[in-house]
Amino acid sequence: MPSTDAAPLTPLALSEDLPPATVMPIWTPEGPMALWRSVGGTLSLAADRCPHRGMRLSHGFVRGEALSCIYHGWSYDQGGRCLRIPAHPDLEPPASIRVATGSVLEAGGVIWRARADDPSLPPDFPGFVPLRSLSFAVSRDVISRTLGGESAGPGILKGTLAGSAVILLCAEQAEGTSLIHLLAPADATLDQRIAVSRAAETLRRAAETGTTEAAA
Amino acid sequence: MTIGAMRDEWYPVGLRSKVDANGQQTLLMGEPIRLHESEGGEIVVETADGRRLPVVIGHGHVWTSLGQPDKPLFAIPEADQPGRRLVEVGVVRVRCSPLRAVENFLDIAHFPFVHTDILGAEPHTEVERYEVEIREHEDEVWATKVKFYQPQAAKSAAGGITTDYMYRVPAPTCSVLYKTCPARPGEWDVITLFVQPLTEELCDVWPWMALYDDVTPMTDLIHFQQMIFLQDRSILENQIPRRLPLDPGMEIPTRADLTSVAYRRWLKRHNYTYGAQLVAQ
Repeated sequence: MPSTDAAPLTPLALSEDLPPATVMPIWTPEGPMALWRSVGGTLSLAADRCPHRGMRLSHGFVRGEALSCIYHGWSYDQGGRCLRIPAHPDLEPPASIRVATGSVLEAGGVIWRARADDPSLPPDFPGFVPLRSLSFAVSRDVISRTLGGESAGPGILKGTLAGSAVILLCAEQAEGTSLIHLLAPADATLDQRIAVSRAAETLRRAAETGTTEAAA
Repeated sequence: MTIGAMRDEWYPVGLRSKVDANGQQTLLMGEPIRLHESEGGEIVVETADGRRLPVVIGHGHVWTSLGQPDKPLFAIPEADQPGRRLVEVGVVRVRCSPLRAVENFLDIAHFPFVHTDILGAEPHTEVERYEVEIREHEDEVWATKVKFYQPQAAKSAAGGITTDYMYRVPAPTCSVLYKTCPARPGEWDVITLFVQPLTEELCDVWPWMALYDDVTPMTDLIHFQQMIFLQDRSILENQIPRRLPLDPGMEIPTRADLTSVAYRRWLKRHNYTYGAQLVAQ
């Protein structure tokens, strides 16, 4: 059985933040990627660079089942193949024009970076629902120390914020920063969720400004 | 980093009308420079250590060089025709290669997507065949017989028209665009992009125009051009890599990109590589 500890699935975003017909930039250890959802709901991950003139595809737009570059409108299907070059409407784009793609999985309201050669399923968190994502200008270790919680697997922290049990899914970002996807109890009231959200911002301030104190 | 052959070219460093005795600081190819107007009305440009740089005044701007230009500043004879309004658009700082800024200016296929409902609109996205050449005698890149459908080609245009264009690259960071003049059929409006290379990945862009338009207020002419260029900036600051790749393989051109292909080839032939990426990375 493959070890999931060695190369865990990486959380990318919360499903709610990526409705149909939208695209968002994602940082992964392989480089910047564009995560997008088609009008029909299919999720795709593409390299964040149009091979025509190098424009970031995460600035592009989704129409139907294709992602288009904002610069010249070149569009790509979910497999990364170029479908259309608007400057030459009658041209069938050569199959060689394509962008690299990656695998993603979606479970429990969280979108994960998957690996084509790894059949692992994303972890599930019974009793918890996604609340929000936050960027931290510090590493995962600093967040862990500041939270004072316990590790529940690679990149997964359990702790307490504003009196509620929470789960933090941590994804390392560029230059020692982190992206945190925060899960709150499914039965939390609206007021409790707001309190957890604010407590997460307080945690961020503590982690970013008082790292030495928190570590002590 | 070496500046290479581009060192001996002329570059815009300010609007002539804005330089006074108080002077102003700027940067040219990584070197801090200062320009001011002397008591005699002469424009002086110096490096931080007091070295006087060559100066020429033309097309509304002050031009200088860190090297020794062996030719005069390129001419734009059409801009000297009587009756034109000269529009000093000002400056836009862009975090991109100066060469990428010029290449974007030479491109028409992006109009429907970047300048939507102004310089282009879907479904009118097709770029018809046009002609491109490197004119050996002038040593300039030219694109002619360029046509594109535009919903609002200029401030003075009331509705959609098919606009004719000619593009000219007389210097590595400068381009001159000749465009159908809505107010005076048969004449060309002149719209230029003069780019000051601050570093290889940062530039100040000085658009300048010589138009037949007696009606539109000057402020509106400036706002129109600034709006267009700010739309371009959202592209230019998000291209990867920041420098312009001159080697094939990194980017994929099509027939619509023939001007860009000729521009890159001309840059490479002259070793105009300040702001270029030479090896695919």
